[in-house]
Amino acid sequence: MSNKVRYESYDHLITRQANAENQFLTDFEKQTYTIDTPFVVHNPYLINPLCALVMFKTTQKVAPTVTVCGKRFERENLPHTFAADTVHKLPVLGLYEDFANQVTISLPDGTSKQITIQTGKLPEDVCRCLNVMTSADYLEDNFMFLTPAGKNLPTAYDYKGDIRWMLTENTMFDIKRAANGNILTGSSRFCRMPYNSTGLIELDMLGKIYKEYRLPGNYHHDHFEMEDGNLLVLTQDFTRDTVEDMCVLIDRNTGDILKTWDYKTFLPQDVAGSGSQDAHDWFHNNSVWYDKPTHSLTFSGRHQDAVVNIDFDSGRLNWIVGDPEGWPEEMVKKYFFTPVGDVKNFDWQYEQHAALITPEGDVMCFDNGQYRAKNKDNYIKNRDNFSRGVRFRIDTEKMEIEQVWQYGKERGQEFFSPYICNVEYYADGHYLIHSGGIGFKDGWADDGLGAFLDPKDPAVELRSVTVEEKDGVVLYELETQGNFYRAEKLPIYHDKDNVRFGAGQLLGQLDVTPEFDTVPDAQEVNEQPDAWHNVVIEEDEDRMVFHGRFERGTLAMICLEGDADSHHYFLNTSAVVHLAMCSGAFLEDDDRELKLNISKQGLKGKYQIKLIINDKKFDTGVSIFCP
Amino acid sequence: MIQELDTNGFDQLDKSGSMMVEFYSKVCGPCKMLAFVLRDIDKAKPDFPIYTIDFDENKELKERLGVKGFPIMLFLKDGEEVNRITGLQQKPAIVKAIDEIL
Repeated sequence: MSNKVRYESYDHLITRQANAENQFLTDFEKQTYTIDTPFVVHNPYLINPLCALVMFKTTQKVAPTVTVCGKRFERENLPHTFAADTVHKLPVLGLYEDFANQVTISLPDGTSKQITIQTGKLPEDVCRCLNVMTSADYLEDNFMFLTPAGKNLPTAYDYKGDIRWMLTENTMFDIKRAANGNILTGSSRFCRMPYNSTGLIELDMLGKIYKEYRLPGNYHHDHFEMEDGNLLVLTQDFTRDTVEDMCVLIDRNTGDILKTWDYKTFLPQDVAGSGSQDAHDWFHNNSVWYDKPTHSLTFSGRHQDAVVNIDFDSGRLNWIVGDPEGWPEEMVKKYFFTPVGDVKNFDWQYEQHAALITPEGDVMCFDNGQYRAKNKDNYIKNRDNFSRGVRFRIDTEKMEIEQVWQYGKERGQEFFSPYICNVEYYADGHYLIHSGGIGFKDGWADDGLGAFLDPKDPAVELRSVTVEEKDGVVLYELETQGNFYRAEKLPIYHDKDNVRFGAGQLLGQLDVTPEFDTVPDAQEVNEQPDAWHNVVIEEDEDRMVFHGRFERGTLAMICLEGDADSHHYFLNTSAVVHLAMCSGAFLEDDDRELKLNISKQGLKGKYQIKLIINDKKFDTGVSIFCP
Repeated sequence: MIQELDTNGFDQLDKSGSMMVEFYSKVCGPCKMLAFVLRDIDKAKPDFPIYTIDFDENKELKERLGVKGFPIMLFLKDGEEVNRITGLQQKPAIVKAIDEIL
């Protein structure tokens, strides 16, 4: 059998990081390192090339300070003082790329040591800052963290627009700092097209993963940390034909699902669809927010142009912010608001993202504005449209709504993002507005989503613009190449543990991958499929991912044949139209390239992997083991 | 009983009783898979008539029946459409739809 199928086996990143950590901690103990001869590990957790760990011991308990020196002058220095100890394992964060970084370690007694950490070039296609307008005084030690919406990577930019943090793993969707200082974001592990990943990960700024929370319906778009540490995560039930219409509360320590909200229980699925709605993705939930004063959850549903609020305990619908056109009359009367105040300048939001409730009880979101109408006859072309951050004041007694702030309408198509994006509330009058999905073709806002545009086409420009506005004055603006899902301004260091040692945990579980009961007749052939099919089988602890290329209309099925049982998975080789694409991370350049995640959940023992292509059953020569 | 029909054959068919009409395309992977599923169903329900029609070669008929894609299964009772299922389905879902019209 010639070797036409490629097989790759990986340990989970958590395992690889644990191995790397064991190695450098063992090496550190082999001899005595002092502040004069510190032990330096560049990129200790393998996925952040702009960081290091500096380790040494002191005879006295002291609180060391690490300073990453600025490229040009002292005011750019990035210092952080760590807790007092005799053994020091200090994260060095925010290094410049392709640069001999000067890092000073100093002790309270005046002892100081300068070391040089040379970094390499970042990948060629990293999204660069094009323009930045701010000052060191304004941004202080904050970086702007942007999460990817395509093949780009999570990246953070300093006040000069220099990249000071990046992960080489395509962790997707929202990024938020947890109460313990770590960050929570989506895992980079593919599960289902178009963009479901296995779950949510908690990691530190070095890139060390502490926990991956796997979910049966996978993770997409957003999550929210509750006061007790438990996590609200957006997901779905993959045993039915709809997506992006469930939220779960998961136990922070165990990953167990504690509570589930199924939107089909409080919303009709066949009314008031946005221009992007289909029966499969009828709601397209892209944000979740918990509001403590009202003990309620707020969800943004792009495909109903609706921001929906429900009671946390009962799951009963409280209200809906959105254009009431197309909704049943009894729902309009009960749940929708009537605009008041300056109604001439009032606009409803359409295909919005990232809805939140301000401390004053107002509703904010990024109003993408895609189509900007409920009725097809009134749809607006993107080049004539606008996107904006918007804040609505709602009176739930009178069911009245007033638009009290917006930013972006005045910028027209220049600021238009048909998808993704977010707003952040810092204080009354102080907001971040991230228009991360700008896509131009031939100089005009294109009608396609940025994820579908070819960034290599010279006529295409993908942009991300992030603005901070305070009391009507723009204090910060960052323009980068590429599209980015969300922006979050964060200091890279925090006042809790910036690193903790010990192996990370893989929590929760994946779903049992749906199988196909009928197995087509096919002639067994003792050979691998043709090399043209480009079959790659990846395996890790809890799943395998099958990659292959097929002409449209091919009958294709993956067969796992074991001694005791067999399992069969149909591969759909038809053209699939994705109306929504909030991350193009898993899109292939050649749309004949397919991938299928097969969870090991429900499988046991050793399986030969065979592949039916039309009337032949090929043996890939690969077997997997499921514990 | 699975039988291939064209427009003429469909029009001349005695439509009394229950039947299923499937539109397929020769260039459709799910349609090829569905053919195996239907063969399986045919073994379990040999008296239930299943007709298959080539989507690409019967333009007027598909327009008349409002068929816009493939595969699609129309469930007819005495000539009246009572249900339709779009896309590849597993055997139990199709058997359930058949049982509902029997």
